[in-house]
Amino acid sequence: MGAMADRLEAGIPALADTREFGTWMASEQKRIFLLCRRMLQDPEDADSATQDTFLKAWQALNQPESKSLDDPGKWLTRIAVNTCLDRLRSRRWQFWRKRPQPEDESAILQLAAATDPNAEDQTFAGEIRQRLQDAVGKLSLRQRAVFNLRHYEDRSLADIAEILSLDVGTVKVHLFRAMAKLREELHDLYVRDTRDREDK
Amino acid sequence: MKHRDDTDFEIWLRDRTRSLPEPEVSPDFLAAQRRSIYQRIGEPRRHAALRWAFSAAMLLLLVAGFAFQRVQVQKPAATISDEQLFSDLANMEQRTEPKAIQPIHGLFEE
Repeated sequence: MGAMADRLEAGIPALADTREFGTWMASEQKRIFLLCRRMLQDPEDADSATQDTFLKAWQALNQPESKSLDDPGKWLTRIAVNTCLDRLRSRRWQFWRKRPQPEDESAILQLAAATDPNAEDQTFAGEIRQRLQDAVGKLSLRQRAVFNLRHYEDRSLADIAEILSLDVGTVKVHLFRAMAKLREELHDLYVRDTRDREDK
Repeated sequence: MKHRDDTDFEIWLRDRTRSLPEPEVSPDFLAAQRRSIYQRIGEPRRHAALRWAFSAAMLLLLVAGFAFQRVQVQKPAATISDEQLFSDLANMEQRTEPKAIQPIHGLFEE
């Protein structure tokens, strides 16, 4: 994770120097941006949230009373998730806020163009991506956070609990409810795909 | 059985979404984002100070408004001299008709 992370792990007082911070940021930036984008489902908002995350990290590291960190990646994830949750909460009051235009959404989805040569698989990949994004958008904020951390970041339940300041039991409940909702939303896709696979 | 279905679904979802390539984020975009972050790091905490100043001003306005309202509500009690009071009472006692009838006289005045 680089010199910055090593230093943080070593517990040396965090007088973050710009170059070390830059190296660490470059190594974590894409992951944090993708996490924010999955959480917020809006590239511009995710960009802004990513910037806020690193800015908060920088400010925290430069405080004289900053503590040493066992896992800087997890700490940064926590800042990112909280930043996204704050933004999602404030969105509730932004009734004038528009959803991205459908063409913008498809352009966003094209960012992750499938490289699979099979056209059918590509179509299905696009469909599942779109449907999953819509379904995740219907989850509660906590469910969304738990699902993203578990599904895309492969975090353990204990890790997620620590990041979200919840107990493991609560995380399990959120994950269970999230999966139940997603199963309901994606049921037709699941059945169709399972049947197609069995036919092949 | 339900649990089995849930587990199957989770596995299916994992397989299907894992096979999707990770979204591409252009290096140019990331570089521009880093530049913005550096720029914001370099800036003094002006925004935070402005936010505090704005909040303080709003609080001040609120307090001033509240104080002003209280001044308005607390009107000084009307003072009346003893002589005036006794004179009014004497007038009321000498009046033969009830006070409520007085407005009716107005209807017949030209």
